[in-house]
Amino acid sequence: MLSASVKTELQLYIRPPRWFVTPVFDSYRQVLFQVPFLQYFANSLIVAVGTTLGAMVLGALAAYGFSRFAFRGAATVRFLILMTRMVPRIALVVPYFLMMLRLGLLDTYTGLILAYVSFALPFTIWLMIGFFDEVPRDIEEAAFVDGCTRFRAFRDVVLPLAAPGLVVTGIFAFLLSWNEFLFALILSGVHSKTLPVVIAGFNTEVGPLYNEMSAAATLVMIPTVILTLALQRHVVRGLTLGAVKG
Amino acid sequence: MRSLARGGLPWLTPGIVFLLLIDLFPLAYAVVISLYSWWLVRPSETHLVWLQNYLALARDPQLVHDTIVSATFMAGAVSLELIAGLLLAVVFAQRARIFDLVRPVILLPLFITPVVSGTMWRLMFHPDLGIVNYYLRRIGMEGPPWLSDPGLAMVALVLLDAWRTIPFMFLVLHAGIVSQPPEFFEAAMVDGASPWQMFWHITLPLLRYIMVVAVLIRAMDAFREFDIFYVLTSGGPGTATETIQMLNYRIFGFGRVGLASALSTLTLVLVAGMSLVLLRLLARESAT
Repeated sequence: MLSASVKTELQLYIRPPRWFVTPVFDSYRQVLFQVPFLQYFANSLIVAVGTTLGAMVLGALAAYGFSRFAFRGAATVRFLILMTRMVPRIALVVPYFLMMLRLGLLDTYTGLILAYVSFALPFTIWLMIGFFDEVPRDIEEAAFVDGCTRFRAFRDVVLPLAAPGLVVTGIFAFLLSWNEFLFALILSGVHSKTLPVVIAGFNTEVGPLYNEMSAAATLVMIPTVILTLALQRHVVRGLTLGAVKG
Repeated sequence: MRSLARGGLPWLTPGIVFLLLIDLFPLAYAVVISLYSWWLVRPSETHLVWLQNYLALARDPQLVHDTIVSATFMAGAVSLELIAGLLLAVVFAQRARIFDLVRPVILLPLFITPVVSGTMWRLMFHPDLGIVNYYLRRIGMEGPPWLSDPGLAMVALVLLDAWRTIPFMFLVLHAGIVSQPPEFFEAAMVDGASPWQMFWHITLPLLRYIMVVAVLIRAMDAFREFDIFYVLTSGGPGTATETIQMLNYRIFGFGRVGLASALSTLTLVLVAGMSLVLLRLLARESAT
């Protein structure tokens, strides 16, 4: 695909296929300047960052609660939260669409972000519980002795110590939003269309435009590749939500 | 500890309230909608029809067909992924150095935007332009029109899904194998066990729990898969590769939100049932 993106229409049809050609960046120019690609890129980015922030704040608070306080039914609540991950997303499409319609949030960033935060939150909470559990309580208790409130201890002591884990969690949330297609297809429109929708659009609207499609797809992959490489070591844990000791 | 118990509430409330509002409320709402005949184009004609949407679905042969498609895809993809993932995990079990090197490459398919991988594969399977048929021709075979043949379109979908998620199986099973206590294998070695015997009698039984978990997660995901169907075949040719999810999307596309919600609710019940069965299995596995 990388090679398709730098070929001319003609070279794409030449057989035998040439893996290496003099790159022609026409398709990139077309994608970048004729389609409002940068706008779509920005849309994707805004939604993904919004999702990450939302899921991290809500997730960190809840995860800290689960990690530090024992209460009756805690295990059940945790389990129910995990179960929401199992819900087939298509089951949420109709009610979301109608809710966003009523709230006037169709084709807005907020509408998409709300949906994505709810998808990301269960695994954010679960991953973070693990990371907070690893921060020794003694350190916090020392902070209490020094007169810190619990929230200050959380903000100034626990969060920095758990930071590497939180970054990993954030990357997972970002990728979830960056890659999501179904809800983007349904909830977004002219103003908030995200990249997966744009790429799928190359497929259907005017017949497949393979060069442009490949160029766009390559551009979409760049952030994914960088973030995936950053995730590497933590991947197993994220994938299984702590169900398996990774 | 006792004094802490009460303090937990303020921390948990925001997240849980959010999930209740944005996750559970829509699910309940979907059940309510499913009892109505509700067509988006004619909102004024919306009226309560109780279970008629469900009856209409039950009478629709398309639903049976799509359920079979979903099940075929799920079974094909998950079993291929499990076997390939297990093989890779065993091969790389003792080779930590190489594993560290290949890991970044292996991870990528997992995180590439599904729509992008679908697009890529669509290009590869193109009857005239695609490299799959080009190389088949090179070895003297006339490549079939992959995506316009019902059976082969399903094969292409399973292959794409396998390409994307074998890494998942591999990584999870690899983590499981690496954490197995070496003492067992040392003892077996002393007793003169062959590598195959060790695999069959030690590695596999110890890996069972993790395998069940991994298959559980993958089966659920395969059942819910939507993106690659949309991009690679759009359920076609005809409706040959239309899954329950695609059917649901199609009904929603007609604006029949009542009927679509009924199907959503059915899907939800089905998935809940599947999860329960799998969780039972899991509980039994971890008990032994």
